[in-house]
Amino acid sequence: MFEKYTDPQTYAKIVDWPNVTAMWRNSVKTYGENLAIEDGTSSMTYAELDARAAKIRGALKEQGIGRGDRVGLFATNGCTFVCAYLAIVTAGAVAALLPPQLDGMTVFGVSRMFGLKLLLVEDALKAKLPAELPVKVLDAAAEGEPEKAIEVEPAEPCVIMFTGGTTGRSKGALLSNRAVMTGTKYGCYGIREIFEQRYFLVLPLTHVFGLIRNLMAALYTGSALHICKNNKDMFREIAVFRPTVWVVVPALAEMALNLSRQFKRNMLGEDMKTIICGAAAVAPYLVREYHKMGIDLFPGYGLTESANLVSGNPDNLNRPESVGLPFPGQELKLVNGELWLKGPNMMDGYVGNPQENEAAYEDGWFKTGDLARFDEDGFLYITGRIKEIIVLSNGENISPAEVEARFNVLETVQDSLVYAENDALVLEVVPRNAVLLAMGKEDPTAFLREQLNEVNRTLPGFERVSKIIIRDTDFKRSPSMKILRNQK
Amino acid sequence: MNREEIIEKLKEIAEFTVQDPSILAKMDETADLTADLGLSSVGILYIVIAIEEMFHIRMDDVSFGEFKTVGDVADYIEKKLGK
Repeated sequence: MFEKYTDPQTYAKIVDWPNVTAMWRNSVKTYGENLAIEDGTSSMTYAELDARAAKIRGALKEQGIGRGDRVGLFATNGCTFVCAYLAIVTAGAVAALLPPQLDGMTVFGVSRMFGLKLLLVEDALKAKLPAELPVKVLDAAAEGEPEKAIEVEPAEPCVIMFTGGTTGRSKGALLSNRAVMTGTKYGCYGIREIFEQRYFLVLPLTHVFGLIRNLMAALYTGSALHICKNNKDMFREIAVFRPTVWVVVPALAEMALNLSRQFKRNMLGEDMKTIICGAAAVAPYLVREYHKMGIDLFPGYGLTESANLVSGNPDNLNRPESVGLPFPGQELKLVNGELWLKGPNMMDGYVGNPQENEAAYEDGWFKTGDLARFDEDGFLYITGRIKEIIVLSNGENISPAEVEARFNVLETVQDSLVYAENDALVLEVVPRNAVLLAMGKEDPTAFLREQLNEVNRTLPGFERVSKIIIRDTDFKRSPSMKILRNQK
Repeated sequence: MNREEIIEKLKEIAEFTVQDPSILAKMDETADLTADLGLSSVGILYIVIAIEEMFHIRMDDVSFGEFKTVGDVADYIEKKLGK
């Protein structure tokens, strides 16, 4: 179905690889001298990246890491991350990708839950971690005698990725080599020019969209990947690197569009031809406006649990509202409007979380929690979400319960509710008036607001609320006194 | 560039990030970046990039979270411009 959207010779090169090592060996053999990655500090060809990964595999072996062992990777975006990730998975081990904004105690808990045998950690992040964790700092000392890559069975595990949870706790989705490679292959469909491109990365590599559609698709296709380490510098770096493909969330695509308008020039540069846009709903407006600039913006739909993209929209101009056609090899069905999935790209479950696994599957189908429909030509449309998790247009997944818990710590707060409004988080608070008034403050409401602002400032940027409403009535509640989220 | 011109330029930038015109109309030096302007994380990123572009400065030595009001931002820009 996707064949007609791609040059035949290019399409023939989109093949199955049984594991990451097999794909990587082919890329090194075919594109050895091509630039593979750069981050403003380092740059490496495919051959150089291969040599570096071999040394890190050597260090992993010295640490007793072997096939199937789970290794945490706690690092910010950069060449160092890519080298370590590639080394772990081509050693036949499993890379648990830990978002660098996690605090030390969370990493500690996750290490236990995931059964991590070792953590590879960027030097700057080491201070956050408790001393009892088995840590190896990612520097020259993390390199040993070059060790060969090994090929594992497609069903053997490859990565553990973080994802938002329905019960307010984050989970780790376990993806096999088959899932990762299928997801990577899917990312190559539907675009006319896909091999030997110049990719620009702004998404976190610990996010499935950054890892699979951005990094893995770049490495699969012999493309160069520029890793932007500070998003505020992205347009300066774009002017130098001149990317052809940008994988991005809608909010950043819209930001680039607005900046282009404000400064009356195409901020993405004249070489940019393709934007892959997803991780949140894509406004048709973006498809149309980018088309006017000579750039094709393709909406897509995917999940962490599906190793990224389930569908992509090659017919973007005619059906900009659609997230596209499902990629081949999957099964999709609608049950009471909810999209259920099966396929070689699907995860093997959440690690150490039987309760979530029980809730996520039915008769072998993964229940996405997304409401969807198909049109007469088989194009998919996402119409809403069943789950409570808030997904902002910048792709951030917010668990409202996690944010509320931070404000509920204040004794002046009786209860709170976080939701999204105009793509920003809003906090509503019911004060504990008895406590508040007993404090004898001249302006109790102003005092509470300042307390809330203080808590807000301590939150990670993506969890910070943009608006605070102090209510003079309680929330609507269920008989068991739970807040009715949809009936504020 | 005097302070009034800096504030005017900040208003030009805010036009692309603050959706509610009534908020924009009352935006002055005392406006609180979070409580009054309701900036999202991408809105803040937009403002930083646009300030660097418009005033030809680099904001590498500061986190935008350190600014509380529009006036704080103007102070920083004035300092960077050598006023």
